[in-house]
Amino acid sequence: MGVAVCFLGVIMSEIILKVENLSKYYQMGEVTVKALEDVSFEVVKGEFIVILGPSGSGKSTLLNIIGGMDTPSGGRVLFNDELITNLTDKELTMYRRNKIGFVFQFYNLMATLTAKENIELAVEICENHIDIDEVVDAVGLGDRADHFPSQMSGGEQQRVAIARAVAKNPQILLCDEPTGALDYETGIQILKVLKDVNIKYKNTVIVITHNASIANMADKIIKMRSGKITDVIINSDPVSAERIEW
Amino acid sequence: MKKLDLRLLRMIKNTKGQYIAVLAIIITGIFIFTAVSNSSKNLKDSINDYYAETNFADIFVQGLSIPEKIERELPGTNNIKQADARIVFDTHFITEDKDENVKVRVVSVDKNQNLINKLFIKSGDRTLSNNKDIIIIEKFAEARNIFVGDTVKLRINGRKQEFNVIGIATSSEFAYMMENEQTILPDPQNFGVVFLEENYLRKIHGINGNFNEILIKVKDENYIEQIVDFLEDNLDKYGVTRIIKREDQLSNNLLSQEISGLEMMSKSIPVVFLSFAGVMLAVMLSRIVKKDRTSIGVLKALGFTDKEIVIHYLKYAAIVGLIGGFLGSIIGTALSGVMTNYYLVFFNIPMLTVKVYYYRIIISVILSLFFCTASGFLGVREIIKINPAESMKPEAPKEGKRIIIENIKIMWSHVPFTWKIVLRNIFREKKKFIFIGAAVAITCGMMIMTTWMIDIIDVMFNRHYSEFMKAQYNISFNGFTNDNVLNELSEQLSIDKMEGRTELPFEVENGRESKIVTIIGLRENTDFYGFEDTDGNRIKLPSNGVLISSNLAKSLNVIVGDRILIKSFISDKDVYVTVKGIVNQVLGINAYINIDYLNNMFLDKGIINGVYLNSKDNVKGKLDNMKNITIQSRDDMIKAFEEFTTVTAVSMGIMVVFSGILGFVIVYSMTLMSINERTLEFSSLRVMGFSKKEIFNMLVRENTIMTFIGIVAGIPVGLWLVNYMGETFTTDIYTMAEPVNPISIFVSIILTIIFIISAQLMTYVKIKKLDFMQALKSRIT
Repeated sequence: MGVAVCFLGVIMSEIILKVENLSKYYQMGEVTVKALEDVSFEVVKGEFIVILGPSGSGKSTLLNIIGGMDTPSGGRVLFNDELITNLTDKELTMYRRNKIGFVFQFYNLMATLTAKENIELAVEICENHIDIDEVVDAVGLGDRADHFPSQMSGGEQQRVAIARAVAKNPQILLCDEPTGALDYETGIQILKVLKDVNIKYKNTVIVITHNASIANMADKIIKMRSGKITDVIINSDPVSAERIEW
Repeated sequence: MKKLDLRLLRMIKNTKGQYIAVLAIIITGIFIFTAVSNSSKNLKDSINDYYAETNFADIFVQGLSIPEKIERELPGTNNIKQADARIVFDTHFITEDKDENVKVRVVSVDKNQNLINKLFIKSGDRTLSNNKDIIIIEKFAEARNIFVGDTVKLRINGRKQEFNVIGIATSSEFAYMMENEQTILPDPQNFGVVFLEENYLRKIHGINGNFNEILIKVKDENYIEQIVDFLEDNLDKYGVTRIIKREDQLSNNLLSQEISGLEMMSKSIPVVFLSFAGVMLAVMLSRIVKKDRTSIGVLKALGFTDKEIVIHYLKYAAIVGLIGGFLGSIIGTALSGVMTNYYLVFFNIPMLTVKVYYYRIIISVILSLFFCTASGFLGVREIIKINPAESMKPEAPKEGKRIIIENIKIMWSHVPFTWKIVLRNIFREKKKFIFIGAAVAITCGMMIMTTWMIDIIDVMFNRHYSEFMKAQYNISFNGFTNDNVLNELSEQLSIDKMEGRTELPFEVENGRESKIVTIIGLRENTDFYGFEDTDGNRIKLPSNGVLISSNLAKSLNVIVGDRILIKSFISDKDVYVTVKGIVNQVLGINAYINIDYLNNMFLDKGIINGVYLNSKDNVKGKLDNMKNITIQSRDDMIKAFEEFTTVTAVSMGIMVVFSGILGFVIVYSMTLMSINERTLEFSSLRVMGFSKKEIFNMLVRENTIMTFIGIVAGIPVGLWLVNYMGETFTTDIYTMAEPVNPISIFVSIILTIIFIISAQLMTYVKIKKLDFMQALKSRIT
């Protein structure tokens, strides 16, 4: 019954992302390293997805390909039914510009720009962005917007990174270990921010992590190991960020 | 403002030390280019305007007795447009001071205005109303405080004549007022030019009312050679002694050589500076891009195109190009004014004005912008290759392989640890250190060239007037005389040494090459010349054949043993003589011949037209009453030379500073780059307990090795530059072929080291300010 409901839910809900038989190989001399092997799954619009796996499981590679930052060796990725894995460099750039928001583990802010300027940098090139001040409030930056990254804590910098990604009004927000460099309390705050923007702006959020506790807040959990999907779990009762513990 | 542009400005601010360094080199290169090329254009345009305005002659014919009818007969024949006859002779200018020996060239002019070689009146009047009116050339009037309304005295035909100064003028023929090819420098205190009314001079000095010179303007300059041949054939009967084309006219010739030298300099020196700036920009940007690898990946992840990111970084180089080009050309334009005014000291060109060439400023900016952007592109093209996914990953540590000298285990095992780090760094970053070494080599080389130029002028002059040509006095007679005059002189003066000599202009030919030079006839065992061949061996004046100066040998393309044709202006005879030796001569261009051999070929036995004389007596004072002689003393030449060297020393000093700036800027900025890139490495050393001073010493050791290698390489670079400059700046007056004095090399090395040490000390300030500990904590891109 649950599966049927899930299936029906899939049919009724809009599929924003389809990954079909995706593979990525690296040649290291005579050795072929399989970073991804025959990965397939779908993502519904507005879902909060966690891709869970240990280090080297291929989750970052998967995220990079979905985000148009890398190209696969085989398989397809369709975004809103548009094939993105055969786009040209320029088309991929436009895809990243207008459709995707990226949050990195180590924030990767521009050191010589203030928090607000970092956000403005991202939206200057966007066609249809969200008001910057609204996003600054949404992530809880408050009066830190005119500070430089070197004047901020790790948590504050990650809020800026999230604001930078969200302000572009992306359809998918991709987060690579967003709490990896943060302590527990700060990490929880960041997860709450991500969930808040997921609800407020109705964008799809994909978080990759090795921290199983975080998976509890997801709508769907995709487990990976050694470049393959080992399990896809629909979480019918996702918990709020504040209730997560590790 | 776009955020990328804001980022750019802050990036420039954060690297301002290096940015200013490369900007300084661009500015220097551009302003040298602008200053020198503007000055040369000022000079060239002014001269052309001046010649056009004054209808400067194309051909000068010197003869013995040219009738007035030639003025009417020549125009219209054989491409000759105009002809103007005149009288020219040298005489004494009588002064209050009996010890002074002042000469003037008297030139006849039309009452109102000449047809050819018009005077340019600076003050007073041009019209010579009566026989006692005189016009004085400006430089001479300034040197001797002569003004309109003054009276001056000349000795003409043995009698004192008084004249009224009605005008002060300049003449295009005497823009560079040299007495003859033998004088090295103008001496307006002791030699000038005066202009008297033509009919008056024909009566009192004319040869039966005839003239001794005729000026020619041609219709088509392409036929100059044919016209010269025509004149030689048709005016021979009037005793033509010399036919001089405009290009060989003394003043014009020297001006042309000066302009050529400037044009060469405006092209060569800026290329050195701009090349170094280009390499620095490419290196700087390449390293910035490498350091910004993750940022570039983030920008790509955000959706910036490769083109947008490349342009963002290229703007860094473009701004240097724009600012450098603009400032350099503005400073250069201002400096060209200074240089042009400097030329006014030596050249008398009334139309020499300082012009601002706005189009050149625009061209300089465009050139600089293009050059910097192109260099910058070499550094940033790696951006295109950066894969955003790869750039997020930490960069692999540098390869840690062993360097080549580690294979010499005996040596390597004794090298202290801190020196091991230094040597490994040098070998791992070979390109960077080769660049530093090259900069030091160029700096040292340019210092050697500059100190050589400072030395050589002094050496040339002193050597010429003490070792080569040893006469204290060179007395010239107005015409030929018998060597019995030597006895007359002995009676009047207490003489140490004396010899009769003959100095005459000849055309010397070797196939298609020819040159008009003064050939000096000397006693075979002359005491007044010390001839050395190009290997430094003493050679004697041969009894037959000729010795020629090395610059004449080069000009005619002859070697010892070749035969050259000597064509006389005073007789129809052309004689082949054998070149018996080639002599080192630093000043002037001449040939030397046994006087008996010369007289045998062209004159009569015992004929001389001058005397070389060494005496402690008051030569000028005692010979003041002798008619028709001019006396040139070595002391007067040395005094004129000292004024010249003061001005030259200033420009040489500026060259030393420029050379030093290059080395300073490169060492400074490359060291800063090193500090920025190795902050984490240095932080680790600090954690281990190294002090800031010890870390600084590590950098100093790296640069010391490259400085040492650069200085060693700089010596052959300097010697090459010396050779190049010597060949480029050698003219008929100067032969710059002196070897470099080892002391000059030593001084150059010391100066180079001073500039490099200064650069190093400035980087210590930066090291002291760095917070190494913060770098270890920092995770910001």
